[in-house]
Amino acid sequence: MEVVRLKQLLAKGAESVIFKIDQWGSPYVLKWRQPKSYLLKDIDSQLRRSRTSRECKMLTVSRSLGVPTPAVYSINLDKHMILMDFISGNQFKQLPEQISNPELVSLSRRFGGLIALLHQGNVVHGDPTTSNVIVDNKSRMWIVDFGLSEMNATIEMKGVDLHLIHRALETTHWEFQDTMLESTIEGYIEVLGDVAEPTLSRMKDIRERGRYH
Amino acid sequence: MMVVQSQESTADNVHELVDYINLGYLTMTLYCLGIEGTAHSFGAGVVTSEGEVLSNEWDMLKPAQGGIHPREASRHHSELGPSIIKDAIDKAGINFQKIGLIAFSQGPGLGPCLRTTATIARTLALKLKVPLVGVNHCVAHIEIGCLESNFNDPVTVYVSGGNTQVIAFAGGRFRTFGETLDIAIGNMLDVLGRELGMGFPGGPIIEQEAKNGTEYHSLPYSVKGMDLSYSGMLTASKRLHSEGVSIPDICYSVQETSFGMLAEIAERAIAHTKKSELLLTGGVARNNRLSEILSGVADRHEADYHRVSPSLAGDQGAMIAWNGILQYNAGEETKVENSHVLPKWRTDDQDIVWR
Repeated sequence: MEVVRLKQLLAKGAESVIFKIDQWGSPYVLKWRQPKSYLLKDIDSQLRRSRTSRECKMLTVSRSLGVPTPAVYSINLDKHMILMDFISGNQFKQLPEQISNPELVSLSRRFGGLIALLHQGNVVHGDPTTSNVIVDNKSRMWIVDFGLSEMNATIEMKGVDLHLIHRALETTHWEFQDTMLESTIEGYIEVLGDVAEPTLSRMKDIRERGRYH
Repeated sequence: MMVVQSQESTADNVHELVDYINLGYLTMTLYCLGIEGTAHSFGAGVVTSEGEVLSNEWDMLKPAQGGIHPREASRHHSELGPSIIKDAIDKAGINFQKIGLIAFSQGPGLGPCLRTTATIARTLALKLKVPLVGVNHCVAHIEIGCLESNFNDPVTVYVSGGNTQVIAFAGGRFRTFGETLDIAIGNMLDVLGRELGMGFPGGPIIEQEAKNGTEYHSLPYSVKGMDLSYSGMLTASKRLHSEGVSIPDICYSVQETSFGMLAEIAERAIAHTKKSELLLTGGVARNNRLSEILSGVADRHEADYHRVSPSLAGDQGAMIAWNGILQYNAGEETKVENSHVLPKWRTDDQDIVWR
């Protein structure tokens, strides 16, 4: 067995560190959920294990629903590591400032369409921010980071997923939020048709909860 | 700010004088009285334009049983408000004539409480003939924290009986990156405390009990993106109680799980915004275990960490006064006719003109 050598720290996320490695002539991503000393050990190890296993499973389930996701090559549940495809491209998060309005509309519609494909299969992503969407060099769109993803999703869970998109757009893309939200919802409805309605209205309800009334 | 005009002043030299003041050659201290009454506490504080907190008086309604009723809370405010304000003026070592600005909590909060507070503020402003400024309660929590910590641009974890939010400044506004989807953490702790036979507020008693907990019982860990949910945990911890699990173990398990969730959304906000300061504020900031966990989060992301000191962490008037000064100095004033309360005022609905 060849030893994998770490090459480059790509990102330090909230719950993992991500390395890019070059092995066997191709680039890969190694995602490692490190221990956190400030959390109770029981909680920390349970979360790291369940999210690592969940992410692997949901990357595959989502691909079977027609959503492009990186392929998984290797997993180590005790070390909380996943080895998967490196997708060369840009995070959607970085694109709105750089592209034209029609391009932004088109990308947002595709984003909404991909989320709709997940929801159609009763899967929620769980953290659908624009950081977790990659547009590759051939302008194909990929969805990554499935650590919070769930199956057997109810309307409530799908409503939360859409609410999180709304939230991400208003906090991160405030200058473009109207265009992006509208186009994302159009793309969502395009795939789901009338079935989208209860989820969309749930999204609006959820926004009003958790606050003073 | 007051400009003193001499008898023979002409329009020209008044402008010159104003220029001097603006350039900092002449400064006059502005004394602001801040009045806070969004929920079950009523507070009044005096803060100067130099950022000195001269007084900060408050009283919290403690119901004999059950939770907070908005009407009872507003009665509490109208009964105790005037004497709390008087105390704040006395403790500041000034008199009402020194006050140059009245700031009040315009929202968000419980309607009856906000209206009582606003009525007191309007009356004072009209009687003293000084300007009035309406302040967003959540924003004031952040700004008083920044004053105390010297932070410029933190990710703020704001945790109280009514709010659980992770907030950061972006594009001219304080934006809520994450929040609770159902009940606030302080509310969850208080309701659980009541269930376990503790007095109100339950949070501090739960913190003490948790120190004797030894066995962790798994509870629903519900993080959704940068949002979270506590209602499932409340139900599950009530069930632990009915199954005979000891109170210290329940408290220990609830604290570790609920604070772990907060740590995660704070961490997601830091990773997402790439900011390098983490601020903990609100009444639940007084919890030492929560602060310990969040300081660990800050370390992992090489961010500076500050917990707002207990007297400025909960709901109180000084934060309203300080925010009022920031707003007023940036040219904002609330006319009495526009001073209606805003019970659902969202943090991100306000243009932050002073930043």
